Amino acid sequence: MSVDIEAYEDVWVFVEQHDGVVAPVSWELLAKGRELADETGDDLVALVMGDGVSALAEAAVSRGADRALLADDPVFEPYRADPYGEQFRALVEERKPSIVLIGGSHTGRDFAGRVAVPAHAGLTADCTELDVDDEGLLLASRPTFGGDAMATIKCPAHRPQMATVRPGVFDAGNPTEHVSDPAAAVEEVEVVVAEEDTLSTVIERVVGDVVDITDADVVVAGGAGCEGNFAPIEELADALGGEVAATRAAVDEGWVEPARQVGQTGKTVRPQLYVAAGISGAVQHLEGMNDSDVVVAVNTDPNAPIFENADYGIVGDLHEVLPELTALVRAKQEVTA
Amino acid sequence: MTDGWNIVVCVKQVPDADDVTIDPDTGTLNRSDAPAVLNSPDRNAVESALELRAAVGGTVTAITMGPPVAKAVLQTAVGAGADGGVLLTDRAFGGSDTWPTSLALARAAAELDADVVICGEESTDSSTGQVPPGIAAHNGWSQLTYVESLEPRPDEGVLVGKRDVEGGYERVAAQLPVVVAMEFGANVPRPAGLHRKIFAETEFEPVEWTASDLGIEEQVGLANSPTKVGGMDTASPVERERVVVDSVDDLYEHIEEVV
Repeated sequence: MSVDIEAYEDVWVFVEQHDGVVAPVSWELLAKGRELADETGDDLVALVMGDGVSALAEAAVSRGADRALLADDPVFEPYRADPYGEQFRALVEERKPSIVLIGGSHTGRDFAGRVAVPAHAGLTADCTELDVDDEGLLLASRPTFGGDAMATIKCPAHRPQMATVRPGVFDAGNPTEHVSDPAAAVEEVEVVVAEEDTLSTVIERVVGDVVDITDADVVVAGGAGCEGNFAPIEELADALGGEVAATRAAVDEGWVEPARQVGQTGKTVRPQLYVAAGISGAVQHLEGMNDSDVVVAVNTDPNAPIFENADYGIVGDLHEVLPELTALVRAKQEVTA
Repeated sequence: MTDGWNIVVCVKQVPDADDVTIDPDTGTLNRSDAPAVLNSPDRNAVESALELRAAVGGTVTAITMGPPVAKAVLQTAVGAGADGGVLLTDRAFGGSDTWPTSLALARAAAELDADVVICGEESTDSSTGQVPPGIAAHNGWSQLTYVESLEPRPDEGVLVGKRDVEGGYERVAAQLPVVVAMEFGANVPRPAGLHRKIFAETEFEPVEWTASDLGIEEQVGLANSPTKVGGMDTASPVERERVVVDSVDDLYEHIEEVV
């Protein structure tokens, strides 16, 4: 069962927002979407859903979208999968986008998994590279299981081609241009969902500050080798004025909060200094820190792949090496202070 | 709702990531070495299903899609306390991506007259997390993903889920039927009871359904999967200095140059 793929055009970016605040990953995808649309010759279209969010649609135009589609109604605040999904289904049926990019947040993945089904879309999760081929087909790449290779996923006979991308993979840049009348490029679409038809109700929502490690200049990360003790990581990060990060293994063990996970299924960071302690160096993790300026590795296993991916390494136990390093950093700070 | 809820728990057989070894010469994966096990996030789904049954009554039915050997993960679920199991097995399912996979599970859940479908957060071998919302979408049911805990309200026909969201949490009341994806690590899965385990391994036989039993033989498999693997590449290595130093003092000097 294929579709007439010629009928589908344009690159859409789902602008995820909560209480009028845009998730930064959406602007990162808008910048990437601009590149893809320029290559395919399509329009870049921002999809903004919420209640009283026309300013966000205008912001998307100022950030490079050719147009913004605005679904503005109380039914869209806060986010719920079923009304968002139904509205998206109707829009895809009517407008036929070729490519749709969605942030890999919990909200974005909840949304993407739901809307790919009625659209009969091809959906690739947690892409770390996006490109288009000569025919305008989306090339969505992600590390394979076990982490030895990258797989490129294509969607040759179905539309839209959808992909989710985790925060920090692409650079949002600073693309706000002067657009004299951004509102003119915003189209308010017909809302097809009524509150009485929804299947769920948000009865409580408690959200505080979101930890953001993606802008840090120094990141000290720990993995399975920490064996539950992150104190050496935290102390070195504190001494260097950096952020604590972790591998998926450490997060799954509950040693560190998920917002600090670096890698394909976590955040991508680009610090000046990345210290990887007790981290073996699976591709899933490397994908999240490969763009760091200088990588330092501490590991007990001299054959760990992390040493191949580090500038400076030492074979040793992080529980001994890191406190020594922290002491040296502190001593130097006292001398200069 | 006086008879309790029909609870369906979806489980998947995956290669054991802990036992996957890397060939030191080629850097590639020795996939055949890895034994097949229950996807570890699914243990949280099974535990939640059993807790939900204890709270509201009803039955827990485990379902999986896979080759005949995937019966093993149904045995694990039954050993932990599930009442029964359904194996969706058919060559027609081969090569299915998340679209047809979630269709098959959705049809099976509807066939079982499910009130609640509980899944793990994602599978460890493909890590998409797309199947639970896909099941909900195929059936037009409500969905709760990244769930930390569940609070059933059987009198209202509602299941409340506390969802992990960026920077906090939210509590969402979902109408039945509902598809739930439990957050990995949300609970402590119980060990199998000895008698139940013996039953699962000796007497238990799953119900087997084919694609045509579910009426979806024309909608599943590789041919009906929108996504195709277009190519495999070794991950492009980044040029690094790769200097291994002998002392922490030397390491500190390199760090000092950067910060």
